[in-house]
Formats: sequence, structure tokens, C-alpha cells
Amino acid sequence: MAMVIVPAPLRDLCGGAARLDVAGATLEELLRNVDALCPGFYGRVIENGQVRPEVAVAINGEAANYPLFEPLSPGSEVTIIPAIGGG
Amino acid sequence: MTTTERSPYKVIGTRPIRPDGVEKVTGKAQYGADVRLPGMIHGRLLRSPHAHAYIRRIDTSAAEKMPGVLAVLTHHDFPAARDEMQELGEGAVNLKELSDNILASDKVLYRGHAVAAVAALSPHQAEEALKKIVVEYEVLPPVLDVMDAMRPDAPLLSETRFTREMTGQKSEKPSNIASHLQFKSGDVEAAFAEADAIVERDYTTKMVHQGYIEPHNATASWNADGTITIWTSTQGPFVVRAQVAEVLRHPISTIRVIPMEIGGGFGGKIPIYLDPVAALLSKKSGRPVKVLMSRTDVFEASGPTSGTHIALKVGVKDGVITAVKADLAYEAGAYAGSPVGAGALMMLSPYNIENFQIDGYDVVVNKPKTSAYRAPGAPAAAFAIESALDELAHKIGADPLELRKKNTAREGTRRVDGTAFPRIGHEECVDAALNSAHYRSPIEGPNRGRGVASGYWINAGMQSSVVAAVNTDGTVNLIEGSTDIGGTRASLAMQLAETLGLPFDVIRPTVADTDSVGYNDVTGGSRTTFASGMAVHEAGLDIQRQMRERAAKGWGVAADAVSYADGRVTLKTDSETKELSFAEIAKKAASTGGPIVGRGSLTARGAGAAYATHIVDVEVDPDTGKVTILRYTAVQDVGTAIHPSYVEGQIQGGVVQGIGWALNEEYYYDDDGRMANSSYLDYRMPTALDVPMIDAVLVEVPNPGHPYGVRGVGEVPIVPPLAAIANAIADATGHRFTSLPMSPRRVVEELHGLS
Repeated sequence: MAMVIVPAPLRDLCGGAARLDVAGATLEELLRNVDALCPGFYGRVIENGQVRPEVAVAINGEAANYPLFEPLSPGSEVTIIPAIGGG
Repeated sequence: MTTTERSPYKVIGTRPIRPDGVEKVTGKAQYGADVRLPGMIHGRLLRSPHAHAYIRRIDTSAAEKMPGVLAVLTHHDFPAARDEMQELGEGAVNLKELSDNILASDKVLYRGHAVAAVAALSPHQAEEALKKIVVEYEVLPPVLDVMDAMRPDAPLLSETRFTREMTGQKSEKPSNIASHLQFKSGDVEAAFAEADAIVERDYTTKMVHQGYIEPHNATASWNADGTITIWTSTQGPFVVRAQVAEVLRHPISTIRVIPMEIGGGFGGKIPIYLDPVAALLSKKSGRPVKVLMSRTDVFEASGPTSGTHIALKVGVKDGVITAVKADLAYEAGAYAGSPVGAGALMMLSPYNIENFQIDGYDVVVNKPKTSAYRAPGAPAAAFAIESALDELAHKIGADPLELRKKNTAREGTRRVDGTAFPRIGHEECVDAALNSAHYRSPIEGPNRGRGVASGYWINAGMQSSVVAAVNTDGTVNLIEGSTDIGGTRASLAMQLAETLGLPFDVIRPTVADTDSVGYNDVTGGSRTTFASGMAVHEAGLDIQRQMRERAAKGWGVAADAVSYADGRVTLKTDSETKELSFAEIAKKAASTGGPIVGRGSLTARGAGAAYATHIVDVEVDPDTGKVTILRYTAVQDVGTAIHPSYVEGQIQGGVVQGIGWALNEEYYYDDDGRMANSSYLDYRMPTALDVPMIDAVLVEVPNPGHPYGVRGVGEVPIVPPLAAIANAIADATGHRFTSLPMSPRRVVEELHGLS
């Protein structure tokens, strides 16, 4: 199981839950499984097969350009943050 | 300098002379303005005198007839851009906005917005021709301040922009608020109700510029075979290539971008402004075209960072920060995309806080589109929270550093987005500050005070590629694709030397163009020494492997029977030990299998976050308002300092920029949206005469995500100074400043009740 930290704006989709333990061997699988619990969640994160441009996926605290087939380990923490850039 | 452990390295941690130093100090290094090509002509841009206006008509016919003019350009010459977001290497970009910011189509959104371009035989002929271009504007009222822009009755920059939420919802009416974000945890109101002390204030900062010395430039040659060559000053040649390809709808493989030496960037040389213009002028004229910005162009039409307004409320109970409520509104400039997300994410990261609600608003205004500036978004957020913590410390009678230590984030603490920190070094920074000679010394004298503040920056990894070719004399040419802004030729060569067990001076690093090395993301996000360093390490291991194979072949044994260490390959058996040096194997490369070339190409993961804690002493002249920096100490967790001098230089540079931001710098606009101080005479940046020696204290908490423990160091040093100086001024005067800059005029006005 991975832990999904639900961003505050999307908690209504998840019945107010801030964290969910969800199975998923890959990022895609995890997000699909979250979507089953929180209908609409997947579409807020993924668009046209990619992470939406205004957000970023952080795995274990590190935001990066992860592919949907990114493997997840049991205990991985996944969350969605605003896209950010550095100078 | 302090280090937490004895260095296990031979090259890393030393201070060799930078490979590009001689060329730079002798004036031989080639910058963009130095480009001279056969037949080259000169481009200039016509810019809007209005901050907000519709373009009703552009007539270039008279300009086209001017002597020496070979090409004139408007947005009509650009392919129609798609109104869609696309990832182009510096984050997602709206293609239409990217194109419109280069040459406006239907509307100008800030003074200095480019509307047309001319290429002529001389710069003067181009400038004269610009005067003949007729642009008919329908002038609109501008909105220049973030809070004004958020009002329901504010002039709209775009009738089709609605406020976006992460939920996918949009506002009912068009708005200048492009998006809203939120981080939330715990029960904020209950925590405030139980707090011992609360500080609640509004903090404001003004739009400021990175202030790089070298103006933007681009020279382009649209060649007869349809290929395009661009010489430019950029933090990311591959991003230039990707964006030019998209704006001009030209195949990416036919565009070659040659990064020239760069005279500073700090994030401001990631976007493109001139490159597609120079390319199209070259296409139209049949000549190579060079386009340069003036200093006024740089101020008015490149990418400064946001002015901000932050409403903040912080509560403590028993010395523990128990509640934070923050509303952050950041100016994005003409198009959406301020760093408010980063500001909101970074704001509380030095601390462990259970209850918080942070709301962020990305707001368009009639000013240039903001771009990254060193830890974008974080300094303004730190100005607010670190000022409030200082005030709370005084309210509850706590030492301000002890308050920070008591509430520090550690491994396992959750950031506001909910994820747990790995090994981090904020507590070590606070401890080093507490134990520093500076903090333990008294601050004495009238009108003098001391301030402290902490800061955080997330750092980035992203993509890097390098190639390392072994020469027959045992030297190695390191080909990399990251623009060298802060000494990365040296820091990367040092990591390769360490990996190969060779002296630094046998590695010869070169920054290559986009045709000559694999893809590299920008030099930004404090990523190059970290991420390209990982690629260099990988290339070094690749060379080690090939060296072992060559030696093993000669000795007639399997490669795994030999070892590589300290620049030598060794075969040890019970009866004998055989050795070959790196140079001996290199010399025989041709007869043992051909060239030995190492390759490193990766997406770097494991970027370690950076923390800093600063101490500053100031003296305030109550009559003139002048604030003098008496002493400054910057403590920073730098992971492993590859080249300590360059790490110290990054810290000192960041601090000086922070001092300017705190005390003097601001975009000063009149009511019509004209910047009134668009020159270095009037835009007051610190000089060497304004600052003392900045003492950099390097705390080395190695990053477990990097083979040598590297953390990015370039951005976090600009995060604490704004608040540290405000806190020092409050200590000196008893007056709390919540608006930047704390310029002499504002200090006098506030101290004497004149504002």
C-alpha cells in the first residue's frame, strides 16, 4: 500500500479524507485506485496521459516529471503540489 | 567554515582555480554581444509606450523604405500560436502567451511590450526605422498592484481569464486572479483560540529585478538549408531550442543553439524574448541578425519577480508554533504564472506546525511577465513568516533562534503538502548560528540592532547529459550542456576527477551547444552541481569500467578480477600484483579497442532540500533613514561543498541580492504604468561599498541522494535576508517594518510618523 496525501482542494472528492492508504504498483495504478475511492481525482491530476501542467506529483516529497509507469514501493508517499520552478 | 565530518575526498572540498577564469579576466571570453558574423546586420524592437492598450493597427510601410532596412517584423509574421499549455523545459508554458509576449498580437499588457522589429545594416538605421512605424493604440486603464488587480471592478487584462481551482472549478466571471491554491491541516481556529500570543500583520514586497549585468541578446542565422543557428545568453540552450521550435513551428532538430558565456541570470535568463525575433528577421533579410536589449528594455520587458501582499496570522502556545493562517497574493505580471505556489509550499518548511491554512493567489497585472528569480516565491513568504516569528519571540520573551530551534523541522516532519522530510539540516543551521562568534558577541551602540531569520528551498533534479572523452595523454575532455553561471565547469570537473581518482587539472570541461551533447535542463533550481554532477559520476564509472576491461584484456583475465582506484587499475593475485595507470591505458586505447568515452545521461532524483539561517547587525540613521549593514553571517546546510569558494560565493551573492531587495530595490511606477527608475542610476542595487564581508558558514549535512552528498546551494541564501534585516531594524529602532523596501525615505517616514 502507498499513502496518498490528498491536497486540501481535493479532499471533498474523498469525503474529507486527508490521507488514504491505497494499493498501486505504479503511479497510474495508484491514481486509478484513488479515483475509484474519490471519483474525479484522476482527472484533476492527469490530462491526456500526462500530469496536468499546473500541478506536479511528489513521491516521497520529491516533485519530478514522473511517468505514469513510475514504480511505487510499499509505503511510498504520493501527493499533488502546485507546479514550481527554480531560478 | 565549519564542517561536520572530515572529508573523505581528494579533490572535492579543495579550491582549484576555475577553468574559465583566465579567459574571463583577460577579456577573451565570448559573450552574446561579442558575436560577429560575415554579413551580420542589427535588429531592434519597437515597444509599447502604454501599459495596457488594444493594438488597432500597425503600419510598417514607411519603415520598410528607410535606408539600410532589410526586414520589418510584426506578429503577423509569426505562425498562429495554439492557446494551449505545453511542457517546454522550464515548466508548462501557454504557447499563445509565449508568442504574444515576444511580439504582441492584439493587446499590449505592459509598457515595453514589443510590437514590431526592424533589421538594418546598422543599429542606428534600425532605431531610426522604428520611429517610422505607426501603431494605433486604444489605451486602457492599467492595473499595477496585486491588491488592486484582485478587486471585482479592476480593469481586466483578459476577458477570457477565469480563476482556476485545483478542483477544476472556474470563477463565474472573468478575473485577474488566474488561480487559487490551498494547503490546509489541523484545526487552525481552535489553535488560535488556545494560543498564548498571536501576531497578525500584512506584509508587502515590490516587484524587483534579478539585476544581472549582461542584457539579453540573441544572434540568429536562418541558413539556406532551412536550419537555424542561434547564439544567445541563456540558462538553458535546450529550452531556447524547444521554445523557438514551438513558436516558429520549426523542426527542433534543425535548430542549433550555441550558449555564449553568461553575465548572470538568476532565473531571468530561462525565458526567451529575442531569439525567435532574430531568427525571423534573419529569414526575411537573408542575413545573420543580432538583437540586443538596452538596460531599459531589460527592466521593462524581461522577467522580474513578483510584488506581493501576504496577510499572516501566527499563534504560539508554550513556545510552540501552533497555528498559521496565511493569504499570499503574488503578481504574475502580464500573463499567469507567478511563483505563489512555491512561496506557499516553502513558507513553513523550516518548522513543524500542526495547524495551518495557506491560500495562494496568482494575479495578473500590467507589468512584465514575471520569471524565476533565485528561489522564486520563497523570499517574500519568508519575509512574512520570519518577521512574525521574531515579533512573537519578543512577545513571549524567547530568544529568536531558540524559538526556531524549538519548532524546527527534522527528518520525518511533514511539509505543508503532507510529505515527510528526509534528512535535512535546519536544526544544524540554527545550532551553528547559536554557537557562532557573531551571535555570541554583544550588539552595542545607539540605533543598532540584530536580526535573524531562516529559509528553505526545495532544490531540483531534472535531466542532465555529459560525455567524457579520454585523450591519449591521460587527460579527459568533459563535454557538458549546462550553462556555467556559478562555477559549474569547476564543480563538475572536480566530481569527475574524484570519480576517476585523477588530479583536477587533467579534466578539461567545455559547455557545448545543443548539437553536441545530449539534452540538459536549465541551469536553475540549484540543480547543476547536483544533477549534472550525478551524470558526471555516471560517466566516470563508465570510464572506470572500460579501463578495467582494457587492462583485463591485456592481462588475460576477466574484467571483474581487476579493480579501479586512485587512477590505477590493479590485478592482485596470491603471487603478484599488476598495475596500470590511467595514462598508460589511455595511451594504448587505439590498440586495445579504440576510444574510451564515458557517458552519463539521467533524470536526477534525490535532490536534497537546502536550509539557511542568517544573522545580521545593522545601524539605522534616524535622520536620514539610511540602514548600514554592520555585520552579516550566513549559515547554510550545503550538503557536501564541492568547491567551497564557489559555495561561499553563491551564499554571498544571494545575501547581497537579498540586502538590495530589503533596503532599496523596487520597480517604481507612475499611475500610467511607466517605470520611473529603469536604469541602474535610479534602480538602486547594492555595490561593494554598501556591504561588509559576508561570513559564510558551511554546515555539511551530506545529501543521501547524491554519490558525493551534494545539495543545491545557489538559491536558499536569498531567502532569509529580507526578514533578517527587517528584524534587525526592529531591534534597532523598536519599529516593525512590514513593507519593502526599507529605503531611507520609508524609514524616515515611518520613524517620524510622516507616512
